[in-house]
Amino acid sequence: MYTSAAIVLGVMVLFYFIALRFKLSTELAMLVAALAGAVAGGHFFPARHVAEGAITYLDINLIFFCATLFMNILKESGGVAYAVRSIIKTFHKSRILLLMLLALLLLIPGALTGAGSVTVLIVGSMVAVVLNYMGVTKIKTAAIIFLIAGLSAAAPPVSLWAMMTAAGVNMPYVGFFWPLLIPCVLGALFTIFFLGWKGSKIDVDKAFEELPEPPQKMNWTRIAIPFLIFFVLMFMGRKWPHDTPVVGMPLMFLFAALASWLLSPKKIDLFKISAATLKQLLPLIGTLTCVGILVQIMTLTGVRGLLAITFITLPAFLVIGSLFFFLPITESVLMYGSAAVFGVPLVLLFNSMGLNPIVALAGMSVIWPLGDALPPTAIIGRLTVDVAGAKDSYGKFLKQCIVPAIVIMILGTLMVVYSKQLGFLTGI
Amino acid sequence: MNAILTEIISILYYALIAFLVVLIIYNMIKTKDWKKEIVYVIILIPFLLRLFMLK
Repeated sequence: MYTSAAIVLGVMVLFYFIALRFKLSTELAMLVAALAGAVAGGHFFPARHVAEGAITYLDINLIFFCATLFMNILKESGGVAYAVRSIIKTFHKSRILLLMLLALLLLIPGALTGAGSVTVLIVGSMVAVVLNYMGVTKIKTAAIIFLIAGLSAAAPPVSLWAMMTAAGVNMPYVGFFWPLLIPCVLGALFTIFFLGWKGSKIDVDKAFEELPEPPQKMNWTRIAIPFLIFFVLMFMGRKWPHDTPVVGMPLMFLFAALASWLLSPKKIDLFKISAATLKQLLPLIGTLTCVGILVQIMTLTGVRGLLAITFITLPAFLVIGSLFFFLPITESVLMYGSAAVFGVPLVLLFNSMGLNPIVALAGMSVIWPLGDALPPTAIIGRLTVDVAGAKDSYGKFLKQCIVPAIVIMILGTLMVVYSKQLGFLTGI
Repeated sequence: MNAILTEIISILYYALIAFLVVLIIYNMIKTKDWKKEIVYVIILIPFLLRLFMLK
């Protein structure tokens, strides 16, 4: 049994790297690996399991789409440009406040959508302009945006690593808010102050020249109402769970997106922006769908069980001590798939050790996004370097990320180690 | 009241899925890259399964 599962796993790994060698994208490489694994396991083309696996993360995909649509409409309407300009105008005299608010601005899109790439695409270029005029070098700016974008993806309410792992161990996605928010905010503040503290006084006029001009009628009310709708719907569901119908996060984001569209001072073609959003999200939605298929085939062939047993029988100190490099490496290969494939056995192990699975998973979720800068995928890392306009080598970008990344890794690992003591953060 | 709202929410979700199916097919037709076409076909599967109430 172990031998056959190990052979199937070997075939999957081999075909995954062959597919990457033939320049296929990560999601297609995962699909090839899954299909090759099914053939190696003697199931040939298990259509039912492919369909079953493909639908696993449909709900997360819906959240992804609706939240990103909301953010894209906000950007297209001029709301993001207005917010950035207002922050500079009001706080340009205080570097501390400006840096804190820029960190907050970078955290919001990813926290709402669960995708670091959305943060990079929605606010990345504008924050880059501001940081450059604050005297921060382009390569440091790229590092700041990348690291905070990663933390924003792990931040609540939508953290895909936590959601996918929780779904894999049949644990409700409840109690994650504070365990995710605290390390993400701390990590973001450390990153922006460590990399962005040294610089010059901001040149407000030059920054305004380069930033996009929002429409005349744009104001804070038009920006705030959609967010208010989202948070009111969320609050109602949590405060009166038995008296309010279950709206679900996709519809909450959709209502916010529609409000943003209706309040936009300039006309936005809803179909066009929706199609553009889907195009922008194709690699991420594709990855989640293919991860579902891969995990389903791994379960069918016994590979998932093999991995789970291997992890559970490993010495605990070895597992916890290696999380800081193991998690980013799995992320760099499987992207979000790493949570479904490796997160599940790890949480089962931590639970069996008496650790708090929610806090431990939150700690792991903070470490995972760091892998988005590492080859072979490194999609978000490279995207950030492009958006920030940095011309230095990719290695130099990675070098800038090292110190804040180590701090984030320590933070995440400490959360796993002391998860039992930090259990009060879950509120359960 | 809650039952009616739940029914409306359910209908809205099906409408959202139908809209996404249209978007996926639209983008699939427009793209020139065969690798992206394959990804569009794959992501279409779960939406169609849900739309036709098979899953």
